[in-house]
Amino acid sequence: MQDAPEAPTPPAALPLDGEGGGGRGRPKKNGVSRLMRLERRTAYLLLLPTFLVLAVIAAYPFGQVVYSSLTDAKFASSQPTSFVGLDNYRTLFAMTIRRLPPKLDESGAPVLVDGKVRYESAVSVLPRSPRRYRQVFQFGLLGHRYVLGAVSADFVRAVWDTVVFTVVAVALETILGMIIALTLSSEFRGRGAMRAAMLVPWAVITVVSARIWEWMLQPTRAGLFNALGSYLGLSEGRTDFFGNPTLQLPSMIMMDVWKTTPFMALLLLAGLATIPAEYAEAAKVDGAGPLRRFFRITLPLLTPTLAVALIFRTLDSLRVFDIFQVVLGNQRYSMASFAQDMLISRRDMGLSSAASVTIFVIIFVFALLYVRSMKVDT
Amino acid sequence: MRRTLSLIVMLVLAGAVAGAQTVVTVAAGAVGQELELTRAAAERYMKLHPDVTVNVLETPDLSDNRLGLYLQMFEAKSSDVDVFQIDVIWPGDLAEHFVDLYDYGARDVAKEHFPAIIENNTVDGRLIGVPWFTDAGLLYYRTDLLEKYGFSGPPTTWAELTDMAKTIQDGERAAGNPDFWGFVWQGNSYEGLTCDALEWVASYGGGSIVSPDGTITINNDKAIAAIDEAASWVGTISPNGVTSFGEEEARNMWQAGNAAFMRNWPYAYSLGNADDSVIKGKFDVNPLPAGPGGKPAATLGGWQLAVSKYSKNPAAAADVALFLASYDEQKIRAVEGSLNPTIMALYQDPDVLAAVPFFGSLYDVFTNAVARPSTATAPDYAAVSRAFYSAVHSVLTGQATAADAVAEIEADVEDITGFPTGQP
Repeated sequence: MQDAPEAPTPPAALPLDGEGGGGRGRPKKNGVSRLMRLERRTAYLLLLPTFLVLAVIAAYPFGQVVYSSLTDAKFASSQPTSFVGLDNYRTLFAMTIRRLPPKLDESGAPVLVDGKVRYESAVSVLPRSPRRYRQVFQFGLLGHRYVLGAVSADFVRAVWDTVVFTVVAVALETILGMIIALTLSSEFRGRGAMRAAMLVPWAVITVVSARIWEWMLQPTRAGLFNALGSYLGLSEGRTDFFGNPTLQLPSMIMMDVWKTTPFMALLLLAGLATIPAEYAEAAKVDGAGPLRRFFRITLPLLTPTLAVALIFRTLDSLRVFDIFQVVLGNQRYSMASFAQDMLISRRDMGLSSAASVTIFVIIFVFALLYVRSMKVDT
Repeated sequence: MRRTLSLIVMLVLAGAVAGAQTVVTVAAGAVGQELELTRAAAERYMKLHPDVTVNVLETPDLSDNRLGLYLQMFEAKSSDVDVFQIDVIWPGDLAEHFVDLYDYGARDVAKEHFPAIIENNTVDGRLIGVPWFTDAGLLYYRTDLLEKYGFSGPPTTWAELTDMAKTIQDGERAAGNPDFWGFVWQGNSYEGLTCDALEWVASYGGGSIVSPDGTITINNDKAIAAIDEAASWVGTISPNGVTSFGEEEARNMWQAGNAAFMRNWPYAYSLGNADDSVIKGKFDVNPLPAGPGGKPAATLGGWQLAVSKYSKNPAAAADVALFLASYDEQKIRAVEGSLNPTIMALYQDPDVLAAVPFFGSLYDVFTNAVARPSTATAPDYAAVSRAFYSAVHSVLTGQATAADAVAEIEADVEDITGFPTGQP
């Protein structure tokens, strides 16, 4: 940022930082004057209630979850709990890769169906004891076919789905939010009303809007999207948005982008308001086009706001629960809805807590990456 | 000053009066007309007992979501809800959270109910739930459409159903209703799919996932054939979206007149015959079809009323529960809501039979319903069911073959229960 003109030096008043004797004549202790130590103590005392509240609301429950992730606690049960160490984490992350042999007929030649080799099913190849590994997905490499198996295949898939969901949704929200913010920062009639209307998706409770989307995305022509699709001749009006695995994540992303783009737009709008108009004017006078102005002036100055907005949204997206739970239920999990399913159907509080701690660690890593890469001044 | 004082006095008095009132909260379902019926019953109880207030708490439609809500309350040992409406499959899993109703006067009424259901609700000699209504899967069919396309009667095998559904579907679509489908059922990944899939498997002679004596019998050819056939319906005679249908989604499609056949519970009968229903008087019910060489199977459903151990007024709560499940109340629910009573005498009551004739004609279906293996696999039935319905769901969505899925179910249930495997 351009330096502001130098402020005039204040008149020599009380030596608040301990430099020089001034009128007091008392020596400084450890480079800190008595007054400063008093101030610091007052500061800590004033912050003490906040720390206590944080400890009770955040630290204690978190500590409980971490502890319960090291046990085999059963939810809503009087079964005795025992300490199992990292067993739950081993259950969540145990993975293996096995080669799938091709199906062979009696003479030992590979069976061909439609010219393609058929392979044995994953169930026969993955280990079954002491722990059962389930297929996550199959892939081909160098002419062989492999299967990635995991003890908690649902969890591995949930992590992958959540990360993909986060990356795509946040990218879309940022781009769309930026466009909306730039539009709203220019003067036009009805700007105030637009700013208010823009917030409606963000204000509606997620469960309610998820239900509305569920109605609109119904797999029959009773749903808006299918009705439009069949009216415009684009589809037969029977697209199953939530049952078809290829369409599930895009539908979730669409719902999330609709809901949270206003939030991004609002944050970016606030950031845009802090950029003095003189820079853009000066650049215009110098002959820079709008794109150049955007990338060379607006965007760099917007970086701190953008960083904050991105951190918020990424962390929120990684924790996504409501839309997955309400709409997809048990069909496809996000990390958080997997943890909830473990709790309710398997009543496995230990495993569910381990999944929650994993979510925390993943979010922490993302937050660290953001702070480092965007050099946010913390 | 005087106004403040009188306000305080009024508040204290109100508090005192409220304190004298016993409040009993009932967590009840809201599928179809259930909630209105329960609220009306609560009103009748409150008229008889003016010192008791009965609040009816609405709970989620899907059985799994309801279980989630209940488990949270049990974990917190909450006294917010006194009476719980519990599924027929939950006594084994949740027995420790409920009181023994035999201690609260259930001994006299227990013999009026079906012995099989009372036995289902008895864990270690404790009656943890009084039966409220029972359920069995039924085949709903459109009598007018069957007549229109020249069929003499409802199908008795799944193959017949597939043919009839296809004919009627093609005909109705050609006649100008592109939203018409042949057969709607519950295909979402939840407990309801266990009910539907168990009917297919059992009607083929493929067993009931885990036999009552504790053998895992799901991995057999008949079960594979049954699930394969169901998967072939998706997109042909059933909408692709059937894999996200619960009971209400199927009923909505059926009641709008857009389905020839529906598999659902008896509650949809009275709703279909409501005055504002498009299909009023144009449908009937029948036992579900059978597989080749098998017998028709209907999954046993039904709900019971249980009193929470953490309730502050267990005696009052037990009284409310026993009232709601009494002869007169069950009669009202049968006549108005076509909810199957659990009291045997009601199946001979002329008023009930006049309102819901199939209670008499399909009596055998209800008494011979196939039970899900909740007692054999207690206290892990929820996990077993999840293994079953998620594997079947993956076959319905085309992500796995039935043979693979059935092998997965066997391995999963072995993991959960440790039972040996065998043939049905």
